[in-house]
Amino acid sequence: MRAILLTTAAIAALPSLGAAQELIARNRVGLADAPNTLTFSLTAYDLYSSDPATKETFEGLFSDFIAARPDWKIETQLQTASIGQEQARLLQQSQAGRGPDCAMIDSSQLATFIDAGVLKPMNGVFSDDEVADLFPFVRDAVTDADGNVLAWWWFTDLRVLYRDTTVVPDAPQTWEEVQNAALAAVEQGREGILFNGGRWEGTAFDWMANFWAQGGELVDAEGRPVFAQGENREKFLSAIAYYQDLVDSGAAPARVTSITDYDAFNAAAAAGSAAMFVGGNWQYGQLRGTLDEATFANWQVSELPGPTADMRATGTGGWSIAALSDDPEKASLCGEMVKEIYAGAGNAAQGLLPTSAAIYDQFDTYDGPEYAQFSDALQNGVARPGATIYPEISNQIQILIGDVLSGAATPEEALETADAAVQAAYARQ
Amino acid sequence: MTAASPARHSRGPAPADGHPLPWLVPAVAVLALFYAIPVLDVFRLAFSDASLLAPATRVTTDAVRGTLTDPALLSVLGTTAVFTGITVAALQLMGLAIALVIIRGEDRGLPGMAAFRTLVLAAWVVPGIANGLVWGMLFDEAPYGTLNSLLGSVGIGPVAWLSDPQMAMVSAMIANLWQGTAFSMIVFYAGRKGIDPVLYEVAELDAATPWQTFRYITLPLLRRLIAVNTILIAVQTLNTFDSILALTGGGPGRATEVLALFTFNTVFYNLDLAGGSVLALLLFGISMVLALVVLRGMGRERAAA
Repeated sequence: MRAILLTTAAIAALPSLGAAQELIARNRVGLADAPNTLTFSLTAYDLYSSDPATKETFEGLFSDFIAARPDWKIETQLQTASIGQEQARLLQQSQAGRGPDCAMIDSSQLATFIDAGVLKPMNGVFSDDEVADLFPFVRDAVTDADGNVLAWWWFTDLRVLYRDTTVVPDAPQTWEEVQNAALAAVEQGREGILFNGGRWEGTAFDWMANFWAQGGELVDAEGRPVFAQGENREKFLSAIAYYQDLVDSGAAPARVTSITDYDAFNAAAAAGSAAMFVGGNWQYGQLRGTLDEATFANWQVSELPGPTADMRATGTGGWSIAALSDDPEKASLCGEMVKEIYAGAGNAAQGLLPTSAAIYDQFDTYDGPEYAQFSDALQNGVARPGATIYPEISNQIQILIGDVLSGAATPEEALETADAAVQAAYARQ
Repeated sequence: MTAASPARHSRGPAPADGHPLPWLVPAVAVLALFYAIPVLDVFRLAFSDASLLAPATRVTTDAVRGTLTDPALLSVLGTTAVFTGITVAALQLMGLAIALVIIRGEDRGLPGMAAFRTLVLAAWVVPGIANGLVWGMLFDEAPYGTLNSLLGSVGIGPVAWLSDPQMAMVSAMIANLWQGTAFSMIVFYAGRKGIDPVLYEVAELDAATPWQTFRYITLPLLRRLIAVNTILIAVQTLNTFDSILALTGGGPGRATEVLALFTFNTVFYNLDLAGGSVLALLLFGISMVLALVVLRGMGRERAAA
């Protein structure tokens, strides 16, 4: 009876006052006095986005979702931009039994959460066909050996090479072509190529594509760090030499060691100071919104170059949503939320890359030519290893790149130091 | 006055006379609850195998051994010593200089002194992360970066503010100075205001120069305050990591990775709670030693006086 009354109240509120304003608050979705509560930890990029259009779209999606479940309310907990810290705190809370019922988990941290045993299956929500339609690297990451769906990786991203075609008309296919094109751009008064080189995750992740393109492996099947051993060592040094040569030759400015966010590339593109940069696929939409139409038309994306034209890789990231509650009803609701709000409509609203092929065909958003490029590049997508040592490997690679590019250490010295630090950390885990 | 004396004697012993312990219990309990217990917990974690993935299961010295023999620790301690030493000295000098300028301005009735004081204080309330982000924009080395553009307009630069390891350290210090000077300024402003004005009037009558007045009146009377301020800002500087995190992330390489940031990275990158606890204890120990050294120096001075 109460549910019926609440449903009536919710539906009645829609036309008169506007659904979004009534049902969406800063820390709640649904009616405040709904009897059941799902706590949901989320990032600030969708429902609480600073972009009015994105916010409005998600408010509509959440309003529809909760109006269909009037006996539920979702208490939202906003995660800050300090991803590592937030995710570590989330894991700690979940282990102590104080975590939210449902949470957004960075794809790079997913394995850590699964290993910790805090994720609860959402099997009933997703059909076998839907699971089968996921990209293989996504399917492997979200399911366990028994086929349980422990999370839903709802969008992915990848790194590509952006270039101003007025300066670099043809897409470089190899590292050598990149350096030559960048040096030619420098002669025209541009910064040849920009990439992340400062102390943050983006630096390590973007660079890893060069290591992976050669078949390099960061960890072995048991999750043991092996990036500095055997053939991996040569591949690692070769990928580092690529970056070092870019800076030493002047193809990339020394300031890359201070770049710690992708926005720096948008700014450089807007200022017309850079000819190329290694950026994320999501920046294409940002550039479209930032640059005037004629300037934007000059910018194109292509797959990240490799040591040879047929050796390519790109790092794939993105976010997943998982249930942390032991209550099967809450776990199901968490899965339904992903399915009805995020994976599909939520992807299309933001132009984020879906993780299953069907969604690309379902929405017009993905008809643009850039998505064909992204789709091609995704064929060589590599996800970060699902090992608990990964954050420290990334940390040490960030230090290594900074030391080598600023001339504080040789690649060999820096690799020795990084390997020693990672092995010591691994031994303590 | 004399009439009041017998009345005072008739009050009898003070409540705590002979039995101070019960009166100290509330203060000790509060201190234990909010300070001692967390410190003891950090101590417990340091001698365990706790990580962010799993709680402590045994008592071990592995984390202590592993952390203290980490080759990176030496370079981090070196970076911390340079950052803290130079920043503390600069904070004292700038805080004192600004406080004296404001007082001089107030004494002369210059307008705008309150606004100037407020302006300096405004930097103090800016959160460390925001401070790092703001200075990050100023130090941006892109062709359109703020400071480099300004320097370029007078034919200087460009300066590798954040990409050169040495300059990155200087930049981190500048950002910290900008924010921290206000605290020193308040301390010295209050201290200078507390000095008896008669002393300055006498100095003026004796035709003392400004330097002599500062050297023989202001400085000696602020000496204890300088010692206290040294402890406070040294501890504050040792714990600085948010502004550096936002400004350089500790890079390039480890060029600006101070002990507090190293501790943060150990916990949140390595997920190594035990190792992070060891580093936290190290930070605690360094702060304690620093405080004891300064307090001992003050004690000697008092004894000599």
